[in-house]
Amino acid sequence: MDHPPQPATILELRGIGKQYRSKGRARQGGGQTVVALNNVTLDFRAGEIFGLVGESGSGKTTCGRLIVGLEKADQGELLLEGRSYGTLKGESLREYRRQVQIIFQDPYQSLNPQLSILDSVAEPLVTNRVGDNKERLEKVLTTLKAVGLSPPEDYAFRFPHQLSGGQRQRVAIARAMILGPKVLVADEPTSMLDASYSAQIFDILLEVRQRLATTIILITHSLAAARYLCDRIAVIYRGNLMETGPADAVISDPRHPYTQALIDATPKFGDCGPIKRYGTLVSPERPASGSAGCAFFRRCGLAHLGRCARQAPELTPLTLGHLVACHYASQTPVPETGQACRLGGM
Amino acid sequence: MALLEVENLSIGYRTKKGVLQAVDNVSFSVEAGRSLGLVGESGCGKTTIGMALMGLLPRNGRVTAGTMRLMGRDMLGLSREQWRELRWKEIAMIFQAAMNALNPVQRVDQQIAEAILTHNPGLSRGEAHSQVEGLYQLVGLPLERLRDYPHQYSGGMKQRAIIAMALACNPKIIVADEPTTALDVIVQDQILQETKALQKEFNIGIIFISHDISIVAEVCHHIAIMYAGQMVETGTTDEVFRDAKHPYTRALLGSFPALGGERRPLRPIPGEPPLLVGQLMGCRFCDRCPVHGKACKLEPPQRRRFSDTHFALCDHCD
Amino acid sequence: MSAEPQTASQVTPRRRSPWRERFREDWLVFSRNPLGRAGLVLLSVFGVMALLSFLPPLIDPMYHPMTGVDPQVLYSEGPSVRHWLGTDFMGRDILSQLLAGTRVAFMVGVSAAFMSIVLGVSIGMVAGYAGGVLDTLLMRLAEIIMVLPTLLVVLMLSALFGKLNIWTIVLLIALFRWPGVSRVIRAQTLSLKSRPFIDAARVAGASHARIVFRHIMPNVLPLAFLYMTFRVTAAIVIEAALAFLGFGDPSTVSWGMMLQWVWKTGHMFQAPYWLFPPGLCISLITLSFYLLGRAMDEVLDPRLREENGTV
Repeated sequence: MDHPPQPATILELRGIGKQYRSKGRARQGGGQTVVALNNVTLDFRAGEIFGLVGESGSGKTTCGRLIVGLEKADQGELLLEGRSYGTLKGESLREYRRQVQIIFQDPYQSLNPQLSILDSVAEPLVTNRVGDNKERLEKVLTTLKAVGLSPPEDYAFRFPHQLSGGQRQRVAIARAMILGPKVLVADEPTSMLDASYSAQIFDILLEVRQRLATTIILITHSLAAARYLCDRIAVIYRGNLMETGPADAVISDPRHPYTQALIDATPKFGDCGPIKRYGTLVSPERPASGSAGCAFFRRCGLAHLGRCARQAPELTPLTLGHLVACHYASQTPVPETGQACRLGGM
Repeated sequence: MALLEVENLSIGYRTKKGVLQAVDNVSFSVEAGRSLGLVGESGCGKTTIGMALMGLLPRNGRVTAGTMRLMGRDMLGLSREQWRELRWKEIAMIFQAAMNALNPVQRVDQQIAEAILTHNPGLSRGEAHSQVEGLYQLVGLPLERLRDYPHQYSGGMKQRAIIAMALACNPKIIVADEPTTALDVIVQDQILQETKALQKEFNIGIIFISHDISIVAEVCHHIAIMYAGQMVETGTTDEVFRDAKHPYTRALLGSFPALGGERRPLRPIPGEPPLLVGQLMGCRFCDRCPVHGKACKLEPPQRRRFSDTHFALCDHCD
Repeated sequence: MSAEPQTASQVTPRRRSPWRERFREDWLVFSRNPLGRAGLVLLSVFGVMALLSFLPPLIDPMYHPMTGVDPQVLYSEGPSVRHWLGTDFMGRDILSQLLAGTRVAFMVGVSAAFMSIVLGVSIGMVAGYAGGVLDTLLMRLAEIIMVLPTLLVVLMLSALFGKLNIWTIVLLIALFRWPGVSRVIRAQTLSLKSRPFIDAARVAGASHARIVFRHIMPNVLPLAFLYMTFRVTAAIVIEAALAFLGFGDPSTVSWGMMLQWVWKTGHMFQAPYWLFPPGLCISLITLSFYLLGRAMDEVLDPRLREENGTV
């Protein structure tokens, strides 16, 4: 999983912000502005797998949808190979969208039930006017084969409801990859699938990167999956980047209390090295601090009432490439080394 | 004596295409204060077992063979009325879709009190409500949220309310069917830890149904791995994780990414599970098995014993 | 979801049209449904009658439903060998009128229903997909038309413009009957619009037109067909009512027209052989389309459920 030194940046988010207005009547808490993303700055390098890790409602999915142009950012810029998405029009916009594709979480929902697999996978070719019917069929069959649906003739003429979840997700990958995009956003591609299928999907993603040098942005709630697949990861909480850096560094030496809490909470099994407990969560939550302070203030056990409640920490480099948004990141947390292994109902 | 004993249980569903053998010859037992994890992929029959234990099999499902005994009492011959007595009082369930298990138009405390009153007709309303308060404290819900409606709760709070409801009648056994699947990791972790603490405190037997082997590993004393309706391996958590025998168990363990230790490549299981309709010969995992021999496809595998607690349904494991 | 090696041998590479396969599957379910069977049998009887309506005038000009008068008959007569169902007040053959009426009923029913479905589906899809002001405008329009009593308005129009041509009537029925369809289609479109496969199509570069016609339309068409069967009956009944009240097209013989003649010439209670056939036919054809619709509903419902991924 090594990559050439200093690969070029392919996609950049600069200060991206996005707000939603919540639905419903004002009396019931509707009509308020909900911040989905707050000043997110990230760069994705050519050919890497980048993990965007967070809980539901953290804004990670919004981030993915922004990247593929399904949503528009309220603030900030999105640059693909140095060109800003906001200024693109007509043919160059089309060209951008060709380069950036997505696979969705739920393979049962992301394929049109009325279209055969062939029609679904061929769609990007048709809309971008690539090849004639014969070439398209040829291309679809090779792509299906590439994602492990073989013999492809068996699958091309079926309908989604005749396939299993794992097979559908492969079809979705085939559709996203058929134009050879530079960037592929994978939005929780395995969270609806059983373990044996998700391992298959992970393998296909790794192979895609290997063969086509596609940049993959993996949106996931699972640190374990991110660790397995990703070169670098970013941890996001309520629209704010908390920590970003090389996957190994972030997971083996997390510096943000939220990342530490996530690692605490992830079930561990099998590998029974010493398990650390950081214990950084407070319970019960503190009352809200207003919008000025750190996003994690309410749940953070390390927070200092004065500074953390009033001033949001900036994302600052700790070591090369490892950035943390915490005032106290440099104070190394002292993990409690617990039992060798948390196996069984102890 | 074991709290719950299930022996040679088989369950079939009538479908358009024929009888679907959802559960085939499954045996296990649960003791007070212990927990058993039923692990397997979707369609392996784990939820069906849970439903059968609650007497809630759908109309086209039927127990075709075997016995289920709760504290020595046969559960299969029970009448509808007896089932109603048994449910919640002796054996309670935490459902998969926790979000939908609460009635959206009724206040949460009302619903739990209702459940208590149904099973303890002697109680007054006030007594029931004070019991609900006790339950809220038990599962870590703030008392000021008692009078809320379900939609005002977050996912984790709903799940806690459901657990409170399951505990309401002091059951001996709780069947938890994917209780944390829809929750975020941190909330999931909190609920799992609390469940363990509650189990210890009240000496409850828990059957924990999940597709996620890592969760089961944390919570359960015993683990049973299910594949295509059969229990392919059972043992203590330690035995199954450290010394997995059945090729499916090994494959399953190998297909989960881990957070610690060395980064090792995952080994996905090729292919798809078999359809369970019609006559099934031989080993059901055979088509996807890396170590199968010639006879596997024809002869049903034998149950092999490795220790008093550790069994596997395979002819080729050592 | 069978094991891979199995599927490989089961399905040898073949390119049978998936649509045809699906149609076959649906047909199998449909034909097993007793309601659908009954409706279909009834409907084919009417179909045969409509086809046979061309025959009588060819046998003898006196069997022409409109202009053919039996010179031997001067007043309404009951069934005989010469006239199987009898004759009307001026000696025209009732059977040939009944057959001609079947043809008209089909024509009116199917074309009015088809037109209202086309209108309703397009308006519903556009309103649901576009949303915003356009949606509001179209739906208010639909509501306005929906609360107008169709029959009354058509009566007033025909009183204004004199006798209406049968095609004008068809058009009017269509114009008044789309709102119900469009509301259902709009609701369906709204729910489809938020499904990830629409997002997927957008990311694949599909235009709005392509999304509407390629992705949304095939998913609402089954529902549209279902509604069409119900619209057919509505159209037939409205046309019959108009004709009975004397506002039909005087140059066509429809069942409603026949009933009007019975009424106007004072044979209502004197000539059951004349009154019952058209009355019965109206009821039965309505029933047959209704049965068809119900059976279609039963075929579509589980399939729609299955495709929505809830199974």
